Amino acid sequence: MWEALIKIGLLIFVIMTAVAYFVLLERKVAAWVQDRKGPNRVGLPLTKIRLFGMGQPLADGVKMVLKEEYIPGHVDKALYVLAPISILASALATFAVIPFGSIWPTADGYIDFVVAPGFDAGLIYVFALSGIAVYGVILGGWASNNKYSFLGGLRSSAQLIAYEIPLSLGILGIVLTAGSLRLDTVIAQQAETGMWNAFVQPLGFVVFLVAATAEAARLPFDLPEAEQELIGGFHTEYSGMKLVMYASAEFLHMITAAFLIVILFLGGWHFWGITGSGTEITWVTALLRVLVLFAKICLVVFGFMMVRWTLPRFRFDQLMALAWKVMLPLGMVNLVLVAAMVEYFNNAVAEKPLMVFLVMTGLMLVSIVVTAVLAPLGSRNERSPVGDLPT
Amino acid sequence: MKPDDPDILWVDEPKLGLAGKLYLPLIAQGLTTTTKHLFGKKVTVSYPDSEPEIANPLIYRGVHRLNRDEQGRVKCVACFLCATACPAHCIDIIGTESPWEDREKYPESFTIDELRCIYCGMCEEACPVDAIELTSLYNLTGRSREEMVFDKEKLLSVFDQTKDAEPMKSQTVANSLADTTPPKGGAS
Amino acid sequence: MAKVWINDQEIELGDDERLNGIQVARRAGVDVPHYCWHPGLSVVASCRMCLVETGSKNAETGEVSMMPKLVPACQTPAKDGTVFVTDSDKVKHARAFVEEALLIDHPIDCPICDKAGECYLQDYHFEHGQKERRADIKPFTSRRRPMGETVTLFVDRCVMCTRCVRFTREITGTNELMTVQRGAHEEIDVFPGFPLENKLSGNVVDLCPVGALGDQDFLYSQRVWFMKTHNSVCTGCSTGCSIRVDENQDEVYRVRPRENPHINKWWMCDDGRYGWRYIHDDARLIGPEIQNKQDANADSGANGDGPLPGPMEWSTVIAKADEDVRAAGRLAVVLSPYLTVEEAFLLCTYAREVDSQVLIALGPVPQLGEDETFPSGFTIHAEKAPNRRGVEEVAASFGKALSFEELLPKVAAKEVSAVWVTAGYPQANWIDESAASQLAKADVLVVQDIFDSPLWQAATHRLPSATFAEKEGSYVNFANRLQSVPWAIRPPAGARSEGGVLWRLLGRTGLYQAKQVLAEVTREIPYFRAAADGVSEFGIDLTIGMLAEA
Repeated sequence: MWEALIKIGLLIFVIMTAVAYFVLLERKVAAWVQDRKGPNRVGLPLTKIRLFGMGQPLADGVKMVLKEEYIPGHVDKALYVLAPISILASALATFAVIPFGSIWPTADGYIDFVVAPGFDAGLIYVFALSGIAVYGVILGGWASNNKYSFLGGLRSSAQLIAYEIPLSLGILGIVLTAGSLRLDTVIAQQAETGMWNAFVQPLGFVVFLVAATAEAARLPFDLPEAEQELIGGFHTEYSGMKLVMYASAEFLHMITAAFLIVILFLGGWHFWGITGSGTEITWVTALLRVLVLFAKICLVVFGFMMVRWTLPRFRFDQLMALAWKVMLPLGMVNLVLVAAMVEYFNNAVAEKPLMVFLVMTGLMLVSIVVTAVLAPLGSRNERSPVGDLPT
Repeated sequence: MKPDDPDILWVDEPKLGLAGKLYLPLIAQGLTTTTKHLFGKKVTVSYPDSEPEIANPLIYRGVHRLNRDEQGRVKCVACFLCATACPAHCIDIIGTESPWEDREKYPESFTIDELRCIYCGMCEEACPVDAIELTSLYNLTGRSREEMVFDKEKLLSVFDQTKDAEPMKSQTVANSLADTTPPKGGAS
Repeated sequence: MAKVWINDQEIELGDDERLNGIQVARRAGVDVPHYCWHPGLSVVASCRMCLVETGSKNAETGEVSMMPKLVPACQTPAKDGTVFVTDSDKVKHARAFVEEALLIDHPIDCPICDKAGECYLQDYHFEHGQKERRADIKPFTSRRRPMGETVTLFVDRCVMCTRCVRFTREITGTNELMTVQRGAHEEIDVFPGFPLENKLSGNVVDLCPVGALGDQDFLYSQRVWFMKTHNSVCTGCSTGCSIRVDENQDEVYRVRPRENPHINKWWMCDDGRYGWRYIHDDARLIGPEIQNKQDANADSGANGDGPLPGPMEWSTVIAKADEDVRAAGRLAVVLSPYLTVEEAFLLCTYAREVDSQVLIALGPVPQLGEDETFPSGFTIHAEKAPNRRGVEEVAASFGKALSFEELLPKVAAKEVSAVWVTAGYPQANWIDESAASQLAKADVLVVQDIFDSPLWQAATHRLPSATFAEKEGSYVNFANRLQSVPWAIRPPAGARSEGGVLWRLLGRTGLYQAKQVLAEVTREIPYFRAAADGVSEFGIDLTIGMLAEA
């Protein structure tokens, strides 16, 4: 009981702080990519120490907290208030089953670095909660009683539902090889063989990466917000703390996605040579595992940010075409490949890792090329038949 | 606008090659570009710790000034052409008969609302006597809106302040022309 | 029926029409540039800008024989078979050279010239001139000397069209202006000791096609392209000259005559031209007030509610005035000759509705001196009010109208208990103390005025009203010609036109619509029937209505 509460407190503190600093990092990365210096003024309060703008998140937070709690007159008040709470709550609750390290050795056994250890349906729980996040967006868009918000909400629901499928297909491969829905089992299995799932099933990795980006509504899949088109989309009518809830929930989604990518495909806390693989470890190794995990997550998040400034936003039809015409078939192919491997070459991963990697990468390339040729992403911009249009 | 409107120019999407269809190579290409910029030289400066460098004051559009003629009088003849050209309607002139022999009209009052101004430089373009010019002063601050409405004296004092660093543009341009081209004979 | 050809375009002239080349071309939609010719003045053909090719067409053979040289169109009468060519290369060259010759001496000081923007020299240079100026650039300023109190001459800007000289000879008959010197040294001037001073002197500024003659009153006050022009009627006297009011952001800068062949031709007098400044007077009344009589007499608070505070809401004051007038009993209204026809009609309608036995009186009509007629026939009337005729006819249609003097004793004798006075006189002293004190005997005294007066002080309900530039409506001049004009500027904040107030009192919704009221007037009153089909910009003659009535 106390152990869980301490873990929850620690986790929420670390995660929320991380969110604040990821916001800063996002602004910094944006500035750097655009040849600017970025926020660098706010340092320690009441001093002249600037710390490269590290005080910015604190200042932002204070500003947002002090803002008026404004509820527009035309909104559905109950849903309007409920929506950001639901999205933030579900985003935070996801972390209950996500291991943020390996284990911590104690005198009589060890403590798991996860709030709800030994939860067998971990993956399903994660997906269930990320499904609830859609409610936050749709409710917010609907309750705002604003056409832009509503359009943002609609887009969001369509997008999230569409990408749930490739996301699940990507995970099915993992579940097949790991034989479990527990996230720590997945990591342990990767650590044991030393073959991260990204090497074993690269196609699944690509599908999952893209789908996770879309689920987190990051560019190039940020259609629910799309500032240039929808003035912020579903959170157009929100301000102050409620906007903070939305914004942090979005960053939490990104962090969740990063966690899942790292845990499912990039070996979790495992790194060759320094973290070991078993449960018989010293506290040094335990600490190393946490550090490795967090380093990987930071890298993935940084990757998300770089992608944001690299790729332009998809058009909505392209977004849907990508989900249904490209990602879904690729996910199926991956599932078949992994299933075949598990059925016929069950020991191959342990015995001939390089072989598996090369074969799977080759098959991935082939299937991507085939899909790209059969279902090109660029959709046809055809002239509408004039006669059919209402005049 | 209907789809068959002749003003609509229908453009076909560009044909994608294999790399374009695969999309992944293009992502790699884009990431290379962004990564290069990540470490590239920054164009912004940490103002006010360091001041920006104004490459060419002749074309910089900062605070206005009203030029003085050789006798130290305001050069402006109150023709209102700057006020006419101004898209922000920030110039307000009251013209009257000048107290001087050789001049017919002069501005009794000449105010520019520096807050309303969009620093487009149209006034400078319109001026027939090169009386109004934009200087390279950019750090314009004030404590009230009234303070930011510059009157004739203030604008003339901007000239006094900047005339050494930035001579009148008509002269600068004339000098630079004289340096490069032989003087033209007769009137043009 | 004479047939004339303008550049292959056939124009038919009436049998008794005597037109010159410029006028015929204008009828064909062709503009022949000209400086010295003016329809109101004699022809001198001195500027040479209107040079055209001309010839005659033989009616039987259809053969055209052209004159070898160019002729000035202003001096060439259009006869049957006359052919004018205004767009040949020969004509274009001639224009370009004339324009260049005029510009040789011209100081290019357009930036400080008041005429810039409405200057024919500018317009014709863009349209017909050479693209390049071959003359040396002259000094930026022009020599300048005053011609009189009202007009100043910028000597070097002059193109010697002599329109101003002919004006003082032919229209005013005062002969102040003349040309001195000869050739390139020719200048406009006056004799020493005999400046340009006559009641029409301002017209030479309008006549001047360039910026040579400047209006001292308007000089350097505004660039012409900032101003918006509104048609209006001069309310200075009963002539009712058609005028243009030039305004920028609700501030009038000048008043110019508007061509009206039936009233003022092209001219207006200086009294009207410079007499509008009262509309921007600081002493204009602003903000409606209600003064409670009992309270004013018995100090404040004697009967409990005290004097009502100063500035009030218009809606409150109008409602209160309506209530008090209805409660008072016998009503009398005074129609000012400065009211428009529509306003007078609305006031009478309202008064009749309140009290069917209402006494309608006409306000005093200011008289000043004698009628003043110039050789051209232009007359400045002694009757200094614009609409005495219109108001009289409206009042007459509501029963017998009293004169102002007849009304005063009736009010003093308490025969009427409420008086509604409309004023709007530009002269602040239009009413004296004794008349005001007689009217003050009424229990309810509503006054609509623009300046403070003894009557205003005595009034119980004070409604600041609007000047002619601020209201739309129709005026009937001394010769029964009705002109309808729009408003040019908005009244100062706190003042409302009589029409607007009465519109509200009659319970009508929306904005005051003078056109709608005029339609009612033409239906109700036979005198105005001629205006039923709309009023042109020249106005409409109501004598037909008078004949029908008779």
